[in-house]
Amino acid sequence: MDPGVRLMERVQARDVAAFESLYDSYHRLVFGIGLRILGDPTMAEDLTQTVFLKVWTAPEAFRGGSFVAWVSRVARNRALDVLRARSVRPEIEIPADLPLEGSLDDDVLTRLDAQRVRDALAQLPPEQRGLIEMGFFGGVTHQELARRTDTPLGTVKTRIRSGLRRLRQALGEHAAP
Amino acid sequence: MTDESMREAMLESVALYALGVLPREETALVAAFIANDDEARREYDELRAAATALAHTADEPVDSARSARLKERLMARVRADAASGRMTAARGSAAYPAWMWGTGLAAAAAVVFSVVTVAQDVNTRGELAAAQRRAATLAVELAESQRSGAAENRTLTDLLAPDARRYAVAPGTVIVRRDRVYFAFSKLGALPKGRVYQAWTAPRGSTTMAPSVTFTPNSDGVAIVALPVDATRVGTVAVSVEPEGGSKAPTTTPTFVRPLS
Repeated sequence: MDPGVRLMERVQARDVAAFESLYDSYHRLVFGIGLRILGDPTMAEDLTQTVFLKVWTAPEAFRGGSFVAWVSRVARNRALDVLRARSVRPEIEIPADLPLEGSLDDDVLTRLDAQRVRDALAQLPPEQRGLIEMGFFGGVTHQELARRTDTPLGTVKTRIRSGLRRLRQALGEHAAP
Repeated sequence: MTDESMREAMLESVALYALGVLPREETALVAAFIANDDEARREYDELRAAATALAHTADEPVDSARSARLKERLMARVRADAASGRMTAARGSAAYPAWMWGTGLAAAAAVVFSVVTVAQDVNTRGELAAAQRRAATLAVELAESQRSGAAENRTLTDLLAPDARRYAVAPGTVIVRRDRVYFAFSKLGALPKGRVYQAWTAPRGSTTMAPSVTFTPNSDGVAIVALPVDATRVGTVAVSVEPEGGSKAPTTTPTFVRPLS
């Protein structure tokens, strides 16, 4: 079982030590997502505090599945909220949030680590990898990706779909027991 | 564009949705497609897992001074909160009242969708119309304030959830998750002027239909509707074509009648 899930059960019982353990285990991930999306360490720090305060004040928002997948989605969505709030360039389109509840493959994510995902990502052709990374961490829509990379919209769509499928396949191989 | 090429285009949009790069106004359309298509749902689950895994690549060491400062600040608040026995912030960021579940989606998808939600029991035409105006106003306010994310996420999550119960009907799918029920339609016929679709619900063990919300699909026949009822008490849902403002009882042959069992 995801160790985060056990800790969250204790956090729901207001166990401060469990919360501290959660923070120690996952704050790098949350801070890193904030930094990649917001591009500013101070804002990433604020984001990290916001996310972990949510964990403490509203632990019932986590309804099972993989904690690491859930907290990653919360962090990304909050970072996008910050981008929207500070957006002074209306021509930049902000994408939708990711739905928060677990998917069928959340358990796969629990068995992954950063290096394995980086290795899997490195297997993708650069044009697919670049779009996927820019899309996930850039806080922009596929239309904006097309504009920024001067690539036809249809090509962007096809590359993202192909890239995600290849990435999923590579992660599946990595994550196999 | 052929049906096959349209379907392929929608599957590409599923990948964009999984990665989280769709603009808000397109998310509801793709969610409706996923809700109505088994292959799309499988693809979404697969690709979203890959997209979520990308977050792992951000897991980097944090500057130790920054990390210590942040932890000290955070733990001080948590310890104080634990000691006082009260929450440091309002519980449940998604604490919208039940009838607003769909209005967040409406704000997101106003261009292509008619999403209708109303408060409590609405039985008269006047109340229906007033509630719809209120819902529309709320949708605009929510869009302007960009605070609809949590409610929208809940609706979309429900539509796509593997544990949701799905009932096929002629224009699409009726989706039930926990105490919530939705229509995700993609094949509704165009309506003559002055007419709307109206939802009906009957309690378990009863055949008496109570009036629910009215709605209008977009030009592609797509509509997502969150019904303002407790799904655990509903035995049957139906849809009929009615005059604008809705009716107290069906006046036309229902488009479908679907027991939820």
